[in-house]
Amino acid sequence: MIILKSWLDDWIDLSNIEDDTISEALESLGFEIESTNKITPNYKNIVVGKVVEIYPHNNADKLRVTQVDVGSNTYEIVCGAWNFDIGAVVPVALPKSYINDDFLIEKREIRGVVSNGMICSAKELGLWDEHEGILILDDSIAPGTNFSSTYISNDTSWEIGITPNRGDCMSHLGVARELSNYFDLKIINNEYKVKSSIENILRTNSGKIVECNSYASVEIENFKIKDSPFYIRYRLSQVGTRVINNVVDLTNYILYDIGQPLHAFDRDKIYGTVSVRKGKANEKILTLDNQSRSINSDDLIITDNDKPIALAGVMGGLETEVTESTKNLLIESAYFDKVSIMNTSRKLNLISDASIRFERGIDFNIQEKALKRFLEIFSSNQDIKFSRPLIDDKKNIKNKSVSFSDKEIYKILGTKIDNRFVSKTLENLDIEHSIVEDKITFISPSWRYDLERPIDVIEEIAKHYGFNNFDSTLPIGNNRNKLGDYWNSKSFLSTQLRANDYQEIQSLSFVDNESNKRFNPEKKYVEVFNPIDTNNKYLRSNLFSSLLNIYKSNLEKNNISAKYFEINTVFDKASHPEYKEIPNQIYSLGVLTPSNVTNIDLRGDDLKYDIYYLKNLISTLIGEFDVKPIEKPGFHNRISYLILKNNKQIGYFGQLSYELMDILNIDDSIYLIELYIEKLDNDAKETSNFIPLAQYPFIKFDLSFTVPIDFVAGDLVSLVKSNLNKNENKIEIFDDYVTEKSRNLGIRISTRNYDRTYSEEETRDILDMLVKKIQDKFNVELNKS
Amino acid sequence: MAEINLDKIYSSFLLALEESDDEDSLSRIHKEFLGKDSVISKQRKNISKLSDLDKKKFGNKIKDITQKISLEIQNKKINLQKVAYKNREDKENSDISIDWYENTGSKEHIISSVMDEVVQIFSSIGYTVAHGPEAETSWHNFDALNTPVWHPARYESDTLYIDKKLQNLLRTQTSTVQVRHMKDNEPPIYIVSPGRVYRSDQLDSTHSPVFHQIEGLAVDDAISFTDLKGTLEFFVKEFFGNNVKTKFIPHFFPFTEPSAEVLVSWKDSNWLEILGCGMVDPNVFENVGFKKGTQGFAFGVGVERLAMLRHNIDHIKNFYDNDLRFLRQF
Repeated sequence: MIILKSWLDDWIDLSNIEDDTISEALESLGFEIESTNKITPNYKNIVVGKVVEIYPHNNADKLRVTQVDVGSNTYEIVCGAWNFDIGAVVPVALPKSYINDDFLIEKREIRGVVSNGMICSAKELGLWDEHEGILILDDSIAPGTNFSSTYISNDTSWEIGITPNRGDCMSHLGVARELSNYFDLKIINNEYKVKSSIENILRTNSGKIVECNSYASVEIENFKIKDSPFYIRYRLSQVGTRVINNVVDLTNYILYDIGQPLHAFDRDKIYGTVSVRKGKANEKILTLDNQSRSINSDDLIITDNDKPIALAGVMGGLETEVTESTKNLLIESAYFDKVSIMNTSRKLNLISDASIRFERGIDFNIQEKALKRFLEIFSSNQDIKFSRPLIDDKKNIKNKSVSFSDKEIYKILGTKIDNRFVSKTLENLDIEHSIVEDKITFISPSWRYDLERPIDVIEEIAKHYGFNNFDSTLPIGNNRNKLGDYWNSKSFLSTQLRANDYQEIQSLSFVDNESNKRFNPEKKYVEVFNPIDTNNKYLRSNLFSSLLNIYKSNLEKNNISAKYFEINTVFDKASHPEYKEIPNQIYSLGVLTPSNVTNIDLRGDDLKYDIYYLKNLISTLIGEFDVKPIEKPGFHNRISYLILKNNKQIGYFGQLSYELMDILNIDDSIYLIELYIEKLDNDAKETSNFIPLAQYPFIKFDLSFTVPIDFVAGDLVSLVKSNLNKNENKIEIFDDYVTEKSRNLGIRISTRNYDRTYSEEETRDILDMLVKKIQDKFNVELNKS
Repeated sequence: MAEINLDKIYSSFLLALEESDDEDSLSRIHKEFLGKDSVISKQRKNISKLSDLDKKKFGNKIKDITQKISLEIQNKKINLQKVAYKNREDKENSDISIDWYENTGSKEHIISSVMDEVVQIFSSIGYTVAHGPEAETSWHNFDALNTPVWHPARYESDTLYIDKKLQNLLRTQTSTVQVRHMKDNEPPIYIVSPGRVYRSDQLDSTHSPVFHQIEGLAVDDAISFTDLKGTLEFFVKEFFGNNVKTKFIPHFFPFTEPSAEVLVSWKDSNWLEILGCGMVDPNVFENVGFKKGTQGFAFGVGVERLAMLRHNIDHIKNFYDNDLRFLRQF
């Protein structure tokens, strides 16, 4: 909302206070300052003139020539506007004056007539957006007066954010009230003395519903639709509202002034009794924006005897709109229920200055006052007739008195605040209260909806005390340097992977159906009901699609093939194992390893990776584990494995299927790992047992066997190990040569005795023993070299 | 017997030594002057023939010159080796202006490293990490946190729901974790909950449908507003450095009262909001079943915002594009 300093001055005398101080005050009171705008005239040397003569321009039908008295002299000025007559008082830009900041006005010949400057419109003077005609000023201003002195042309406006709990601050009066305590200045009490002169023709009431607590109205006759007074147009335009005519402008003006939305009806289009009720099925109303709106039983509507005439608090009806031909008015000033107005305005997507104020809650005791303020201003420059304001107030809303001990203030805020400060603050904020010994009692005023509990008033006191005036203390918690399993696991995995040159990524959680189906066709996916992007409306069931996308985009964009990981949540529609009401979600690690990785040494060749590297990498992440081949959608038929830890499945790894490589247009083989972090057992932390270092020299054999194609090399290693289990051993496969028909497996065995050096004879015996055991067990042939 | 001029021998040794420029010539010199056929060796053999007095005198002279020559040769040898090393190294030059290694290893994503940093700061003052689901119930995300049914945050234009009845949603704040933690634990509670949150926002320069938050909660005896202030001032200083300026301005959140926003001015820049915080609203404690009079504070900070501020990152999209040119900068 924009507030204007000169307008605030109607309610509180800020004339001796610097703008910066006001800015500071606003911020410290919780109004976020979005911008501060110093308003200065965008013109120079504009004077007020009086049109004393008008005659046609001989060479141009659309132009007129005027004689304008500017006090010291009378000038001939050519003018294209027709909205004024002889006697009009107007702003005049004489030669050597400026408009639009730096546009110089000079004596100029227009179609053969010399014009001594120009008569200005409001738009040309940067006042408001109205260019149909020149600006007509009050008759009482003497010709020759400096135009900028006829109104407050140096002013300041602030665009401030108002938190949703403070609907009462959405007016100049509301903001002034807050400032009054900050500066310890009294709010100016604007009294209205209006006297009715006609009888009411219409009856109005607030209906038989709780959603309209009060409905006030007044009828006005004998008025003219015309431009609003200068100051109203000026103020409205400064707070960002379009000026329309004296009736509409004034309803808007009252809203920004004291926060009560008003609505003006053409009284002569209304019949019988005006009342409020809920809509009926199939009911419709044509609103001011010329749209037919369907109404249902949640909507509040204003009706007369025949028909709906307005959507309460949201938008008026077109049929009863005030137009140029309107003769008589009915002005409505009502209190509608917050939630009801909110629902209708959201449903119809009609959000207006009025609906926002109703939504946040307006003063429930201001309806009649608002009408009186309207009448006072409306009657100040024309001789209107009006009825007695009618008000039907159900008086359903009552604020209760609440008490609490002043010790609560210290307990919550931690700083001692004197009761005199409390009392002064509540006084200035117009909050009815008493302080007896340590007991504070208060009743929330009719405009405040945020003061129901003691904590609400404690907040109020804290705010007015100034948050920055509080002490600072630093409590220390009970969990020093205990980060917990969740964070420790994540950090450990991340550290290990980075040590192996994996780059972490963070990608969005939304994917299309296909990205999930490729890897998890067996699952049901969590779908966003109101997605931002309908193409990606599912939560991802795996991290692979994102990893593959990032791999590809960096390959394309940067020509770098890199290793990546991501630690994030994957979702599916099964029920959460712990919290049944929400979908399953597993905190997971996804790892992508391309078979070719760009060497970070620019002189080096690509680095090569394969499934065996992955197996080793996994052991650095989770220690020893078992693998079991599985068939996994999206993966290579043979190269995909479950990761088992103590017989529990904690993830899987493998190679991306050739089919997906084709579909995704990927050339090099890709290896993938998914690990379920929450399934890693943090309680069973492995401790490595020290294996003593044998002090005697090792003996070493390289053996080669011809084995069947589907032979499992790990079994061979295990057999050798079990036969040498008293020794320190290093047993490894060093060669695996496979052709279509045969396979040769080379095993390198080095072993040491803990007690002695093996003799040549013992060495030979061990070799013979191993070869025999192997041949017996596996029925394989030793290759003689 | 003829007097041998040892000085003359020494002079001719020095001459020879000076001309020598490799180890071979040094061993030749050694042989020539100290070897068994050398003049000095011959002289040594003659010592026995001398009188006792001369024996001692001449013997000492021979001994001196032998030591001197030996030392000189040794020194020369060391010098020659040094020269040889130097010559070898002089041939091995590198043009260090070339960057053959194009990056310095793989990194944590900036979002993760900022989260980690914040977590470590709070760990140092006694907070542990709490973790919870991202797809949540509306109760945990809104009702438990005292958000009225009519609150705009609940609108479908703000929050992403995962069912038609709007009962389940993607959490819009990690405060949901606080709710679950408070349901399972009794005070004292000192936790931070870092993680992903979701909003119905299109990806643009400052908004993303997915972003990260770290929310903190302290519930303990007589935890007060001054504790909240001190804690967040500590955090801001740890994160931005001691020269950062901080101010607290009033704000509104349904789940805290009083509520504040923390603004910082860093390196003399404008004031920027980085944190929302406040004293936990009594209704929240009531919703999780804590006894009346329980007190605590809560705060939340946007991870992307912290990163953007500290590293001058202009566009939130950078975080989620995962372009290596971006990732490798941090």
